[in-house]
Order: sequence, then structure tokens, then C-alpha cells
Amino acid sequence: MKYLLRKVMLYVFIAWAALTMNFLIPRLMPGDPVALLVERLSGRIDPAAMDAIAESYGLTDAPLHVQYWDYLTSLAAGDLGLSIGFFPVPVSEIVLGALPWTIGLVGITTVISFLIGTGLGVVLAWRRGSRTDHLLPALTFLNAVPYFWMALILVLILSVNLGWFPVSHAYEPGLVPGWDWEFISSVLYHGILPAITIILASFAGWVLSMRNMTVTVLGEDYVTMAEAKGLPKRMVLVNYAARNAILPSVTGFALSLGAVVGGSMLTEVIFNYPGVGYTLFEAVQNQDFPLMQGLFLIISLAVIAANLVADVVYVFLDPRTRQEG
Amino acid sequence: MNLSRLVPASGKVRAGLIIAIFFVLLAAFGPLLTSYSPQASGTELLQPPSGTHWLGTTQTGQDVFAQFVYGARVSLGVGLVAGIISQIVSVLVGVIGGYFRGLSDDLLYILTAVFLVVPGMPLLIVLTGYLPSRGMVSVAFVIAITSWAGSARVLRAQTMSLRRREFVEAARATGESRTRIVFSEIMPNALPLIASGFLFSVIGAVLAEAGLSFLGLGSLTTTSWGSMLYFAQSAQAFLYGAWWWFVPPGLAIAVLGAGLALINFGIDEYSNPRLRTGKSRGRATRTSGPHAAALSTAGAAAAASGVDAPGTAPVLHEDGVGEVAGTEPSEGAAAAAQLRPIDVAGEPIIEVRNLKVDYPGIDRVVHAVDDVSITLHRGEILGLAGESGSGKSTLTNAITRLLRNPAQVTGGSITYHRTRARPGGSRGTDPGSAESIDLLGLSTEELRGYRWDEIAIVFQSAMNALNAVTSVGAQFDDVLRVHRPTMPAREREALARTMLEKVGIDSDRVSSYPHELSGGMKQRVAIAIALVLEPDVIIMDEPTTALDLLIQREVLDQVMALRDEYGFAIIFTTHDLSLLLEVSDSIAVMQRGRLVEYGPALEVYAEPRHPYTQALLASLADMGALV
Repeated sequence: MKYLLRKVMLYVFIAWAALTMNFLIPRLMPGDPVALLVERLSGRIDPAAMDAIAESYGLTDAPLHVQYWDYLTSLAAGDLGLSIGFFPVPVSEIVLGALPWTIGLVGITTVISFLIGTGLGVVLAWRRGSRTDHLLPALTFLNAVPYFWMALILVLILSVNLGWFPVSHAYEPGLVPGWDWEFISSVLYHGILPAITIILASFAGWVLSMRNMTVTVLGEDYVTMAEAKGLPKRMVLVNYAARNAILPSVTGFALSLGAVVGGSMLTEVIFNYPGVGYTLFEAVQNQDFPLMQGLFLIISLAVIAANLVADVVYVFLDPRTRQEG
Repeated sequence: MNLSRLVPASGKVRAGLIIAIFFVLLAAFGPLLTSYSPQASGTELLQPPSGTHWLGTTQTGQDVFAQFVYGARVSLGVGLVAGIISQIVSVLVGVIGGYFRGLSDDLLYILTAVFLVVPGMPLLIVLTGYLPSRGMVSVAFVIAITSWAGSARVLRAQTMSLRRREFVEAARATGESRTRIVFSEIMPNALPLIASGFLFSVIGAVLAEAGLSFLGLGSLTTTSWGSMLYFAQSAQAFLYGAWWWFVPPGLAIAVLGAGLALINFGIDEYSNPRLRTGKSRGRATRTSGPHAAALSTAGAAAAASGVDAPGTAPVLHEDGVGEVAGTEPSEGAAAAAQLRPIDVAGEPIIEVRNLKVDYPGIDRVVHAVDDVSITLHRGEILGLAGESGSGKSTLTNAITRLLRNPAQVTGGSITYHRTRARPGGSRGTDPGSAESIDLLGLSTEELRGYRWDEIAIVFQSAMNALNAVTSVGAQFDDVLRVHRPTMPAREREALARTMLEKVGIDSDRVSSYPHELSGGMKQRVAIAIALVLEPDVIIMDEPTTALDLLIQREVLDQVMALRDEYGFAIIFTTHDLSLLLEVSDSIAVMQRGRLVEYGPALEVYAEPRHPYTQALLASLADMGALV
């Protein structure tokens, strides 16, 4: 359990680092962006909003460490400040409204894409040298396709030309959100195209890394021994090769997840999907700094949490991490 | 200088390089091909591709082709600049951390972890959101800041492993300065990783720039592939079906990314040779076509003769040995093979006749096993000696059908004589009746039934042969589940426990994982697993080489005791001839794929006939290893 404890400590530190970055970025960016913003906005928005901005960005005379302390205490109270674009709605309220959409869309599609990708990667590794190798260049291409471009193409073909799916939004505009079938079915229907986009754009990466890892593992003695034992192919492949080859995929989860999250955010923008990515896009366009920062923070924390989950899974997969002492 | 040597052999790398060069040329010279300015609007609005506008026009009448080629400059430029900056940071952080260790490494490791976990795109968006003026250089710089961590981690691991290698140790011992070691010893060896990290950074940066510009966060006064997509999206080009506007930039990004990734495949294959060995094992155990048909007839004939004359030791007349393989130089093979009849009580169980295994190379074919015939009898211990590369492993792998491509059996036969009915097996014949099996002709399914039930293997290093992620018990259990499908779970576990005790290991270790066992214990577990189906033959591939001397002796004694109890035959491979002389009934010595001496152990010891064996024994005597 020492392994897990060390990991938890690392993530706590990373979370702290993300909080601190969030605090420092607006204060240390060259060109004093906040002062410029205040200048630009003065007279155009509510004076109360101006005060709120000035306060949350340290346009006060308080020294940095006092500001930092204030920042941490208000964070601890769940206070992320007030949005400028939607003044005076608290940032936390907007963030909490956007989060379920993203977790639903990106969470589910990431899991599906990981499962499809690793499964296919194992199969391609086993059949290496056969005709399935010709799939590799296509997968490499798919892996390099930008998410948002994939979304544009799919919209063009499946929505505009064929009319199978709606072009944007998470549900039929005008519906009142609630746990009724009409709303849920509308959410599912609107979710299909964004989900297909994210899966298509991300699964090839898992395939390629899993294939390479499995090919490497297939040369190990334990796989040869499993084969010599007369075990059926499937057993050799799953219990011996894949079971070992998946370990680096799980430890490398952080790196892959970053790319998926980034790409999914752009996908949300294209579909006007009311998740975290789309909201962040809006916040940047409105120069809604408090909202921008609140969203950055929540995305970072969610990714850190996902990494922690991956590490817990890793402990189950690799007995060596369970060693005492 | 030979130019053809500059062209990489791998088709993937070649395709990747062509793509990369194409885009570089496009960025450099593309703008010369068009007379339009990328920003200038015209009167022809939203026109599809035509002779005057090769890629059509935008909503404001701008020429898409002009935008595309000028955009290539910006996108590639940002990719290169960001890739270079990011890779410099990765190398500094990774190599310094990995080489100098200590506190600086700890700090750099944590810093890397922070930038690895905190998602890049949101950070990038926030950072550029605050940038007062967004020139392409500052965008490239910000992209570099958010993207160095992955490559730094890989380089750190590589540096840590390099610093333990002999040549680095040697450089340190001769008192070279640390900077010099880092630059002249570590960096050149980490070069493939640095190159591949750089290519990934470039792909990442091109994608990131496209993403940012697409969100309107790049420099919108500069035309890049990303900003083209931004304007296409905000003009809702896809609703008008204006595919010519947004298809080219996205397609270019994807093709460029794929091209760089293909080059990376080549780099991966260069540093990890296993990815290079094209084909999987198990399919081409034998050449197909008419030749294979001839082989199975030969096998059947050998099998038939085995049935006809059970019990008589086959007479060895090896007239094939003297003939020189056409493609291989014959020096050193002048001395004739020295073969003596084997006088062992048991019936033959495995007969290898004139076996040939080839490795087709680029220039020439290597005969890894060249016309070898040996016979293993029931209960016999056959010692197979020879240095590495002599073909002894290829021979045993041919017997167990574990040859890897490109190895090919090109001649001869291997016959297995099964005499007793197996418990639980579906293919039980009546006890006592003989059955000869052409091993090379078995189908995959038949082969599975024969494996482990008839022939089990103990590998050289149990450390690598046991599956690290499942328990010892599970590794007994899967064999039993497959080969004894009717055995209830409780019996299977009881059997695993019994087998562990037989090799002197506490039966509670059944729930242990391999990493919880010592090296000697792991090898015993491997032996116990080999015995669980009570096979007639066990192939031991240098089973004690990885163990220290004392443990070696214990394990060996255990094997001998178990042999007396179960009566299995052993093919024991090792380069340690003194060990073989002690345990074997008969000895086969191989050199360069050929059997050079074969006979009863005592006779070979007392009177070695082949010069190679004589030299080996003489050197052993010199070392005092023989008494």
C-alpha cells in the first residue's frame, strides 16, 4: 500500500500546484492582462463587477502572500468568484452546471475508446505480419486527425447531407431538463455524433500503443511458456500477453488523457455542447477571467482524480505494487 | 558515397519522409505558385474549386489555395519552433534528472509530474487567454511550455538505464568530467528517443496551434491552417457544403501528423528490434506447398519404422553429414561427425531424423540445424551441449514446435512415440498400444493437446518464464483446466499444492506471486508446473544457468530425484559440459548447427573422438572442472 500512498501524496501535490498556478498565472503574465481588462471594461459593466474583478485579481495593495491566503480560504469554501460574462452568477454554479455534460460525454466515450482500442491492439499484435498490418497506416492517419476537424467532417456527412443527427446542442432546444423519457432520449440522440467523433479520433492511439506493447511482450519467455503449456490462443493472449502489455497503458494514462480531454473540449465547441470545454471557450471569448480560471481548475482536478483512479486500477493489475515494505 | 544507403529500408519510414518533405517544400515554395494574397478578398464568393481558384474561395472571396500554402508556413513554423523549444526543455530536465539523481532529480521529477498530469489544452487556453498580444512566436512558446513533460519522463528513464551501462561506468572510472559524459556518452545513445520525442512534439504543436487558432485564440491576422478552420466554422461553411474550405487544412494536418508518426515507427523499430520481426510464430512452422507434402510422407515413413521395430536402438548411419551446404562456408566442418550407438534400456520416445532448420537471411541462408538425427528413449537423460549459436535451442524449439519466424523446417522428421493412454485425455488409446505421431505434421489443435501433456519445458530463467501478474496457483490452474477439463477446482488446487511440496516448497506458496519468491524457488516452481501433467519428456533449457552454484546443485538433485520417481526423459541443454557429463546418459555435442559427437556419456567422456569435443574436454580439465 506504500505505493498507493506515495501516489496519493504526489497527486495532492499536483493538485496544490494546479491551484497555485491558477493563482499565479493572471498575476505574473507579462503585460498585466488584468489591468488591461479593467481598463477596457470600465464604464461598460456594472461597477460592482469591476470591484469583484479588482479584488479577485489582486488589484489591491495587499501583499502577494495575503492574497494567496485569501485565495486558498475562499477556494476551501467553494467560492470561485463571480462570472463577468454572466454577472453576478457565481462561477461555481456555472462550472457545476457544465460538469455533468462533460463527464457524461467525455467519460463514457473515453472508456469505450480505451476498451475498443486496447482490444483491437491485442488482436493486431497477434496477427502481425498478416494482412491486418495494412490497417496500421490508416490507424496512424486516424490518430493524427484533429478532433474538431473530424467533427466538422462528420457533421457535413451525417447531419447536413444525410440528416441523421442534429448539428448541435445537447438536447432539443425548448425541452425542459428532467428525468422524463422525452428529455433523456433527446440527450442520447444529440450525444451520438459527438460521441462518435471522440471515439473515432481517440481509439487509434490506444490501438497503436497497445499493439506495440503486446508485440514486445509476445517475445517474453512467459508467453512462450504459456504457448508450450498448450493453452488455447485466446488464453495465452489475454491472460499472459495482454495482461502484461496493458500495464504501461495504465501508467501512461495521464499523457493520453490530456490529449483526449483537450480534443474533447474542441469537439464540444463544434457541437455547442454545454460542457466544460464549450463553457471555457465562451469564457475566453468574453474575457471572463474568473470563469476561465474556475473551469481550468475543475478540469485539472477532474484529470488528477482520473489519474488517481488509474493508479488504483494499476495496483489491482500489478501485484508487485502491493508488496509490503 | 553510396546514395542508395541513405534511403531507409522500411517502407513506412520512406512514406513518412516523402510526406514530411512534401509539406516542407509546400511551405517553402507553395506561395510562389499563387498570385493571390491569402488575406485579399475578391468578388467571387464561396466558389468551388476551378481553374482560377484551385481550391475555391471563401465567403469573402479569398483564395483558399493561397491561404492553404501560406498557412502551411505558419503551421509548420509554429510546429518546428515549439517542437525545438519543448525538446530542449525535455532533454535538459530528463537527462539532468536521470544522470545527476539526488535532490535535483526529485524536484525535476515532481515538476515533470505536474506538467504531465495537468491537461495541456486547458492550460494552453488559459495562458493564451491572458496573452495581451498573440504573435505566433509567443503562441509557439506557450505550446512548448505545456508539452515537454511526456518526453522528459521517457528521457529520464533512458538516462537512468544508460548511466548503469558499462561504457558509462568506464568513462566515469577514467575520470571524465560529468558534462563530457553527458554529452559524449549519454546523449548519442539517447538520440533515437530525442528524435522521436521531437517528432511527437512537432505533431503536438501543429495540432495545438490548429486547436488554438480554431478557437480564435491564435493570431487571427496571420493565416494558419487553424485560423482557416476558425473562419470556415464561424461562417458555417459546412452548412453551405463548402467542403473545399475546411477539408484541405484538416486533411493536411492529419496527413502530416501521420507522416511524422510513420517516421517514428521506424525509430521505434530501430530501438526496439522486436517490433521489427515481422511475423508471428506458429503459422509457418514448416514450408508449405509440395515440399511440405514430401516432408509429411517422410515423417510418416519414420513413424512407421518406429512402430515396426520398437525397442531396438536405431542404427545410426549418417551419410548426410559430410555434404557441404551450398551457401555456407565449410571451414571448420572438416572433421566428420562422431556418432556412436546409444545403449539405453527404454524404448525410443522421440526420434529426430535428418532435421534441417533454416533461417533465411538477406544475403544467405543460415542452417541453424543441419541434418541432425538423435533419439531420446524413455527415462533417458540426453545432454545437448554446444556454445550459443550452435543450434541446440533451435533443435529443442523444433521438437516443441516453438520455432519463431523466420525459422523454417526444410527437411527431416520428428516422430513422437506415445504408448500409454493418458488419464482424462479424450484421445486415450488402449494401454500398451503404440502410436507414432509426426510432430511436424500436427495441426494447431492436435499440437495443443500434445503440449505439456507429453512434453513440458523448463526455461532458462524462471524469472522471465513465470507470469509476474498472476499467482503461482493460477499458473498451475490454467494448465489443469485446459488439459484436465473434468477435474474439479478443489482437486486442481490440491494437486498444485502437492506438486509444490514435491519440489520442496511450502504448499501455501500457491497463493504467492512470482516476485515474492527467490530465484531458486522460482525455478523449482517452474519445475513443479512442468511436472503437473506427468509428461513423458521434459526439455530443460539451461535450467540452472541463472542460479548461483549452491542453489544450482540443490535444484539439480531435486530434478534427479523426481526423475527417479516419475521416470520422465530429459533433454538437458547447456554449454556446461562438465555438468552434462555428470548427469546424462548420453551426450550430443553441436557445433554450427551440426551434430559433431553423439554417444553414451561415459564413452564420450573417456574417449572423445571429434576435435571439438576433445578441445572442450581438454579446456575443462585445465580448469580442474573434471576429476
